[in-house]
Amino acid sequence: MSKIEEVKAHVEKGKSKIVPQLVQEALDAGEAPQEILQAMVDGMGVVGDKFSAGEIFVPEMLIAAKAMSKGVEVLKPHLAGDSGISLGTCVIGTVAGDLHDIGKNLVAMMLESTGFKIVDLGVDVSTEKFLNAIKENDNVTLVTLSGLLSTTMPAMKQSVADIKASGLTGFHVIVGGAPVTPEFAKEIGADGYSPDAGSAAVLAKKLVTA
Amino acid sequence: MLTKKQNLLETMNGGNPDRFVNQYEFLDIILEAPLRTRPQPGDIITNEWGITYSWPEGQLGPFPIHDDEHRVLKDITKWRDVVKCPSVEFSDERWAPAIEHANSVDRDDKYVTVFFASGTFEMTHNLMGMEDAMMALYEEPEYMHELIEFLTDYELRYAEQIIERIKPNALFHHDDWGGQIASFMSPDMFAEFFLEPYKKAYKFWKDNGIELIVHHSDSYAANLVPHMIDMGIDIWQGVMTTNNTPELIKKYGPDLTFMGELDSGVLDHPTWDKETIAEHVKKACETCGKHYFIPCLTQGLHFSSFPGVYDAATEAINEMSKKMF
Ligand code: B1M
Repeated sequence: MSKIEEVKAHVEKGKSKIVPQLVQEALDAGEAPQEILQAMVDGMGVVGDKFSAGEIFVPEMLIAAKAMSKGVEVLKPHLAGDSGISLGTCVIGTVAGDLHDIGKNLVAMMLESTGFKIVDLGVDVSTEKFLNAIKENDNVTLVTLSGLLSTTMPAMKQSVADIKASGLTGFHVIVGGAPVTPEFAKEIGADGYSPDAGSAAVLAKKLVTA
Repeated sequence: MLTKKQNLLETMNGGNPDRFVNQYEFLDIILEAPLRTRPQPGDIITNEWGITYSWPEGQLGPFPIHDDEHRVLKDITKWRDVVKCPSVEFSDERWAPAIEHANSVDRDDKYVTVFFASGTFEMTHNLMGMEDAMMALYEEPEYMHELIEFLTDYELRYAEQIIERIKPNALFHHDDWGGQIASFMSPDMFAEFFLEPYKKAYKFWKDNGIELIVHHSDSYAANLVPHMIDMGIDIWQGVMTTNNTPELIKKYGPDLTFMGELDSGVLDHPTWDKETIAEHVKKACETCGKHYFIPCLTQGLHFSSFPGVYDAATEAINEMSKKMF
């Protein structure tokens, strides 16, 4: 197995203590930083797919994301620009009135590992906060809204409507969370919906690179 | 007409129930029993474990605060220094309302029921935050085993007290083990960390007069059913439609009774209506059948977030009993 393949395999297994060392060894062996990064992104892609398929669970996804971020720390000084792969900035948050964040955090991790710069607004995020973040950050290509409570679905609807009506452009709005359905997403005017974190990354990349 | 208790037992044993068991009707839950401080709407409180909860006005319920300032356990390797177990001893005055309630229950009709929350897994993430708690299962398994054992011992010591005071017949035990479409962890990981501690706890309750263990996890957890049976659960409350409950009943019915199928998220909201509830009740009763099944909202107590929803479900279940029995 090449060093690069080893990096990918250990990201998939979530070996956060080993990955930084492997990344260093790959660099020392003369591998291009860009390719090492791509290997980690691919590793997280596999993790996302396995999560979507129900083959792995939340802990496995968390440790894989941690392993990748430890690897990226070693790689960062060697990459031109800040991340090497850029799909732009993603503003993400859980909608107003809703404090659940486990699902939202997993989605943020997968989006980050695909190549988005993440601006995480946290939970209970008002429309105003979403709008400010879109204005204040450069190159926002994606806005992601998460909602876990059926009682906050109206807040999601309102936020999507206000963001769309704000006159701000250049990004796609995607939504998800347990009570959200593809029909609801369509009805409220979102540009996309995905059922889980793995497929959110696939969808986001597709929308942004289309 | 069978008593509520008899009807439940007929349902659980695949015998001859004369109607559907209607939601929580067979449990008389002694919520007056002292356990720990609980927040009320508008409150921010720190409970006996040091966990801070906030319940903002207008929200459906409380939420633990896990920022750096409030998280109780930031480094699992230091749990012994940091996690302080609250006392399980309460004064006679604190117990009095619970004892009075328990004494008023007709035990031939209903089970005098202990309410125990948060469960062991929930306690780990209430103390640490969900992400740290889940990652620690991989990164510091030994310390997690120790913490889980410590939490289980607390439960046993509390059990001793409440058993002595109110002589309960049933336990209603919360611990959410999943989200809507997946369990939080794999069945193997669940078995590695939680199976034995739960076996120990549930055996203790049963060895000391508890006849019925009802476990609440309003989630997907179909993949954990064999472990639920193994640890001694009699009824899984909170089973969501995403589990394919009719299949589970076919496969595991004699060993476990399934209570739920009326997803609270879908039915319990400000614009709820009776017709939708009746439709869901009809579907649940028709697809799950008369044995090993209790139609119930998935919410973990005998009321709804929005007034009227619980009663509408009760009424619709009575209607289905008239039609199907
Ligand atoms: C493109 O954009 C996208 C794409 C995909 C997206 C996306 C965005 N966002 C999410 N996804 C998707 O990808 C993620 C990963 O694959 C997935 O995210 P999920 O979040 O679905 O999945 C996570 C990985 C795991 N799932 C979860 O984390 C949610 C699990 C359950 C058990 C749950 C938990 C854990 C909690 N809760 Co709460 N909780 C429940 C949940 C029951 C259930 N069956 O789901 C639910 C959601 N909670 C509920 C409630 C009512 C509440 N909770 C509350 C509190 C809590 C805890 C603190 C105990 C804890 C949250 C910890 C935390 N830090 O988030 C309170 C909420 C306060 C508030 N204002 O928000 C409280 C009010 C307290 C209470 N009475 O129970 C219910 C909502 C009912 C309703 N009407 O909708 C609930 C269904 C349980 C129930 N049946 O009562 C996908 O949905």
